[in-house]
Parts: sequence; C-alpha cells; structure tokens
Amino acid sequence: MDKSTISENDDSKSTSGELSRADITHGEHPLSLGESSVWNKFFQDTEIIEQIDRDVKRTHPDMHFFSGDSPDAKDNQEALKTVLTIFAKLNPGIRYVQGMNEILAPLYYVFRNDPDEENAASAEADSFFCFVELLSGFRDNFCKQLDNSVVGIRSTITRLSDMLKEHDEELWRHLEVTTKVNPQFYAFRWITLLLTQEFNFADSLHIWDTLLSDPEGPQETVLRICCAMLILIRRRLLAGDFTSNLRLLQNYPSTNVGHLLYVANKLRTTPSG
Amino acid sequence: MSYDYLFKYIIIGDTGVGKSCLLLQFTDKRFQPVHDLTIGVEFGARMVTIDGRPIKLQIWDTAGQESFRSITRSYYRGAAGALLVYDITRRETFNHLASWLEDARQHANPNMTIMLVGNKCDLAHRRAVSKEEGEQFAKENGLLFLEASARTAQNVEEAFVKTAAKILQNIQEGVIDASNEFGHGRPQGLSGGRDGTVSQRSGCCS
Repeated sequence: MDKSTISENDDSKSTSGELSRADITHGEHPLSLGESSVWNKFFQDTEIIEQIDRDVKRTHPDMHFFSGDSPDAKDNQEALKTVLTIFAKLNPGIRYVQGMNEILAPLYYVFRNDPDEENAASAEADSFFCFVELLSGFRDNFCKQLDNSVVGIRSTITRLSDMLKEHDEELWRHLEVTTKVNPQFYAFRWITLLLTQEFNFADSLHIWDTLLSDPEGPQETVLRICCAMLILIRRRLLAGDFTSNLRLLQNYPSTNVGHLLYVANKLRTTPSG
Repeated sequence: MSYDYLFKYIIIGDTGVGKSCLLLQFTDKRFQPVHDLTIGVEFGARMVTIDGRPIKLQIWDTAGQESFRSITRSYYRGAAGALLVYDITRRETFNHLASWLEDARQHANPNMTIMLVGNKCDLAHRRAVSKEEGEQFAKENGLLFLEASARTAQNVEEAFVKTAAKILQNIQEGVIDASNEFGHGRPQGLSGGRDGTVSQRSGCCS
C-alpha cells in the first residue's frame, strides 16, 4: 500500500501504520458472507470466471478455430470468455450455466468469419447482442428455480413428448411405456443446447439457419426438429431395448440434415391420420 | 447377453473432476484428454463378472455443475452404487464432497454403496489433496476409497468392480433385498430381469 494513503488514514492512530479496525465495516471484511460484501462478490465472480475459463477450453476441442495454442484460437477463447462473463454479471439470477458456451460458439464463429473484415472485428460485440437476444426466449431452460415450472425445461420436454405422441403414437408408446426411455434422458441436452452437440458443426449451423429464421421462433422449431429426429430413426428405435435406444439417442447417427428439416417442417401441420 | 443382476450406478462430483473420462475408460478403454461438457446425463453400460456371476452395470454419468442438481437428483433414484469423484489436484473439489454426500443421502437409497474416487492420481506433482485425507474422509463416512487415473486407467476397473462386489456382498448378507430394497416393491435398481426393468421415472413432481 502507498505510504501517503496510510498516513492519510492515520489520523486516529498516530504511529502504527495499520488501518484502525473501525475503518473496515463488518460487511466489507474479507471473510464476510454478506450479500453486499464486496469480497464475497469478488470470490463468487472468481469462481464463475474460473469455471467459464475451464469450459471455454472444452468448447469444440476438435476445431482449430476454438482450440489449441495458436494466437487466433487464444483470441477467440478470450472473446467467448468475455461475453459469458459479462452475461453472468448482468444476469445474476442465472449467471453462467454450463452449455451456454455451446450456444455462444456458433454465433461467434459466424460473425468472426464474416468476409468483411470490419464486421469480423466486431464479432465479440455482435455475438454478445445476439446471445442475449437468443437467450431471452430460452433462458428459463437454464434457470434451475424454474426446472419444475410450466416454463422450465421439464415442461418443455413434456411438450416434445406430447408432440411425438400426436404424430407417432406407436413410437411414443414403445419409447416411453415399453422401454421406459424417459425423454429427459436425451432431450434435455437436445433442447437446452439447441442441437449443437448432436451433429457436426456444419450441420448444426444448417439447423440453426432454420431455427433462427422460422417465424414461430427457435423454441417451437427446435421441438419440431427433435420430434423429426425421433421419427427418422423410428425403425431402429422400435427394434431396440432400453440400453440400445438410449445409446442411439445420446449418440444420434449422422443424417441428411436437409431431409431432417423437411420432415420437421411437415410436422407443422396436424397429422392427416 | 444374460446376467444375474443389473446394478444401476451414478457418477457424481464437481464439474471437471473427470467423471465422464472415468466412464469412457471403463466402457471403451480409452482416454479423451479434453472431454465435452456433460449436459444433463450420459449413459453407459458394461458387463462385469463377480464371483463367477455375470452382472450388468448401467451407469449414469451426471453433470457436475450446481445448476443441474435439480435434474441430476432424479437419477439417484434406484441407484445401487455411486462413484463420488474429486480431483486430487483441485482442493475445492474435495471440499465439496460433504455437500455431494448429503445430496446422495437425501435422494438415494440409504443402503447405496458409495465409492470415493480421488481422480487424476497420475498428476502427483500437482497434488492438492493427500491420499490420507481421502482415506480419512471415506472412513468417517463409511465409503469405499480408491485413488485412480482415467488417463492411465489405474484403478478405474477396480473402482467399478469393487463397488459391484460390495453390493453383491450386501445382497448375499441380506443387508439389502435385491427384489425390494431399491424398488419399493418393484424390481428397479437391482433386478434379475431384462433390460429396461429399471425404473426411470423422473423423481419428484412428475
């Protein structure tokens, strides 16, 4: 600490050079757990930042754009970290939830690869804006307090189940009644991460073009695509037991995404019986 | 393949301690240095043989982040065994064990066999938790204990198999009832039946 500041604070005590105890309020004590304690806030922030740091390093480890020690990859990781940290600070009710990194990654990738260099230079800010916008319709899925509410993830998964029952009751019955594959076991990741983990990166971007452009919004659209994913592999599912079905759904086979989106779009209309 | 018992396991512990890597090493015998985040739950299965009896292990690898706990808790139901994992190079993951244990005790069957696993023991030069501390915690809380490395595969097989041996022993000694204990009257976590007889209901509020 600077000598001059010590002497300024030293009015009450003449010589020791220590702050008098009264100058540190209880709430600002480094061990205080009070909500307004700056130290407690600091420690909480540090914890989140460390977690974001660890998760960003685990984002698409197979892609040079995101991973490795090249200067570009480092810059990209820094940008992802900044966006996630700022979002967490601005949304104290949600903060950072694992998986947000996977939602942000495609947005940032697309902006950063804009052929117009001036646009590409603003990738961090642009992706932040879009990330906030996208999550505004989705963040209830990331909020554990809402997990069991009508807007939370469980209820969204139930809607997928209802949709499957409506369009393919035989498959629904086999999955949920006969083999007891609770849709939560696979659809939790499908829905919260908007299918970013189920396909290769290029296919994910293709799916996202549809998700983001559909007038009904990404939430409705992703449910239709999930339902189509089930229907497309119905023969394998109908022949499978609990173990093989769960394995298949947690490692979705590579597929023709154009066809998948076509089938999903068909689900928009009610089944013709 | 037929089996005498089906044991459901869960793997729990802080994020980044290596839960998914332990599972991958056990089921696929390989190591992935940078593993994707686990969102929700991932599933694995493998057969083991204990005292000449074929046993199928059905393993649920859970997400470590606190935000997922309300989802994760539903997977405790019907579990016969748990691997509670910490990272020997990160002290805080050891400090959080008590809270994981409390969660498990509250949401799982009280007779669930729990194996405490100190993972990443190949990184001894970065060790932040001594083996004695791990042993001590396990002893105080009635857990089995091993230090393991998903990278080198050291003790990975042992962690899963010794847990199964203990569960089997409990069944044979009548400490747990294979037909009732885990299923509240229905065959669930332990069953001699076919695949998929394990209850997969999503816990409370459903």
